[in-house]
Amino acid sequence: MAKHEHEFRDPIHVFIRVSSDERRVIDSRAFQRLRHIHQLALTYLVYPGATHRRFEHSLGVMELAGRVFDVVTHPANIVEAVRQVLPDSGSLAYWRKVLRIAALMHDIGHLPFSHAAEADLLPKGWNHERLTEKLIDDVELSGLFGKLTPPVKKDDVKKLAVGRKHLKKITFSAWDELLSEIITGDVFGVDRMDYLLRDAYHCGVAYGRFDHYRLVDCLRILPKHYAGTDELALGIDEGGLHSAEALLLARYFMFTQVYLHPVRRIYDIHLQDFLKDWLTKGKFETTAAGHLKFTDNEVTAAIRAAAGKRKGKGVDAARRIVTREHFKLCYSRHPEDVKVQPEAANIICSAIAKKYGKDKVRFAPYDKSGKVSAFPMLSSNGDVVNGLEASEVLTQFPPTILEHVFVAPEIHDAVVKWLKKEKNKLIANSTSNKNASNKKKPAKKKGA
Amino acid sequence: MKRIQRAAVLASLLKHLEEKGSWCGETHMQKATYFLQGLLEVPLGYDFILYKHGPFSFDLSDELGRLEADYLIEEVSQPRPYGPSYRLADDAWKKLTHWEGQTIARAEGSIGFVADHLGDKNVSELERLATALYATIDDRAGAGNTVDARAKWIVGVKPHIALAQARDAVREVDSIMEAANQMA
Repeated sequence: MAKHEHEFRDPIHVFIRVSSDERRVIDSRAFQRLRHIHQLALTYLVYPGATHRRFEHSLGVMELAGRVFDVVTHPANIVEAVRQVLPDSGSLAYWRKVLRIAALMHDIGHLPFSHAAEADLLPKGWNHERLTEKLIDDVELSGLFGKLTPPVKKDDVKKLAVGRKHLKKITFSAWDELLSEIITGDVFGVDRMDYLLRDAYHCGVAYGRFDHYRLVDCLRILPKHYAGTDELALGIDEGGLHSAEALLLARYFMFTQVYLHPVRRIYDIHLQDFLKDWLTKGKFETTAAGHLKFTDNEVTAAIRAAAGKRKGKGVDAARRIVTREHFKLCYSRHPEDVKVQPEAANIICSAIAKKYGKDKVRFAPYDKSGKVSAFPMLSSNGDVVNGLEASEVLTQFPPTILEHVFVAPEIHDAVVKWLKKEKNKLIANSTSNKNASNKKKPAKKKGA
Repeated sequence: MKRIQRAAVLASLLKHLEEKGSWCGETHMQKATYFLQGLLEVPLGYDFILYKHGPFSFDLSDELGRLEADYLIEEVSQPRPYGPSYRLADDAWKKLTHWEGQTIARAEGSIGFVADHLGDKNVSELERLATALYATIDDRAGAGNTVDARAKWIVGVKPHIALAQARDAVREVDSIMEAANQMA
């Protein structure tokens, strides 16, 4: 007799169970490709255990998405304001299926080496979310969704997998928005929950761990009464506040200790330098077929081949990766410098480039501040309050802004010595550009 | 516009909103900036999408975090149930007027206009007005031109807003737009 349920062993969730329909999606080319995309790019050169792939992360996101769906739609957890957007019980099974398939699909647009290779390597207006959208629209996957029982609409999958932030032209219903928040949400999205747990496990660091069982169990759909509106959002029951704090602290520590580790960042830059040289016209293809043919394997083979040559495309960057002769950190953003001049790191980078040459310096800014967004919390007295304000910990959270300046190893000592002498003068003497115009005539109504 | 120029414009907006009695939370800054960019066309370059409480820019949200990290603005916690508000950090105004005095002066009229019209609004009023402006000027919305068509569109995307409230918001936006055109 044919099996209707299948399981994967997983180091984070132990067993991940999937239906036969979900297995057909897992067997698709777009999903199987994720077996060959490292979750954390070249981070394994810093944390040797970080060789895990987007394949198992996506399975984990599906597992958590299903659990969250079951909790937030459980009749005991539904508050009155939610009933108006909740589909009837017959439709809930369909939406659970869409949500889990969307969770599987959410990363299929990633380029080789994930985020490391994305900046500047796609044509203008493209990113991995747009590639995900394109692959879901492609006949191979949309055809497959149509053959499932019941058939799943590709547009539903797309909305939940990509989210409102990246699907600007598509209108989301309140229900669509809530479900997409389960996967992609800024505060309690399961994509984040899984990658923090999984990345911490594989890197061998404890920073990313938090009590996700308790957190998932306490998630609720709640109206944002504290903001003077009935708009619904994913929030928590008060009992889950400490787990929420732990999740957001885990994110902060993982960013500062792992994702933005300076050596990891310079390897990302050397990888980008290599790809700009090696790819045709310095860009990845954006057709479905072009996207599917490239994985980390092809790029790694090319890097190893280039590193063995004396000259040719990408040789210098490839050699730096393979022989570990990466650029060295010479300056990191410092609060005292920023208080004098917010652009201190940029100014220092430009000054080094002017004195030692552009090819000898690299700048790695990270300014997605990672500020924690407000979220609704159901108090024990039944009021919905701002969870952010209810937490002494979260209100004190610093924004994560990091800036690193790297230089070629052969000039590192000289640059450090020079900066010791010149840095304060460079920062104090800087002025900003005053040429831009910023006043235009007011906007007109459409069709006016 | 360069980052430090955007910082100067946002700091000036925060200062004007505060003077008009605004709470100056993130939603207030988001919606006022949407009017400044979308209606007065101050070229800040933020990408706004229809999101929580109406038009929202993730770039702007990051930028506000960046301004905090750069010691130019501060987030001030408020007693429950109120959300945090922003204020200018000590010396920030002095530094920004020194670096970007011309930028601030050029945007002064537009910033003052936005603060005059939005400074006394609360979050739900701002949500309605900014969504009405989105329905009126953003080609992505496809809301139509009449007051009723735009109001119905607003209720469709924000079911918690009543039709009468949506109509009032559309009429108020039309009158703000007329005033902006007269100012130009």
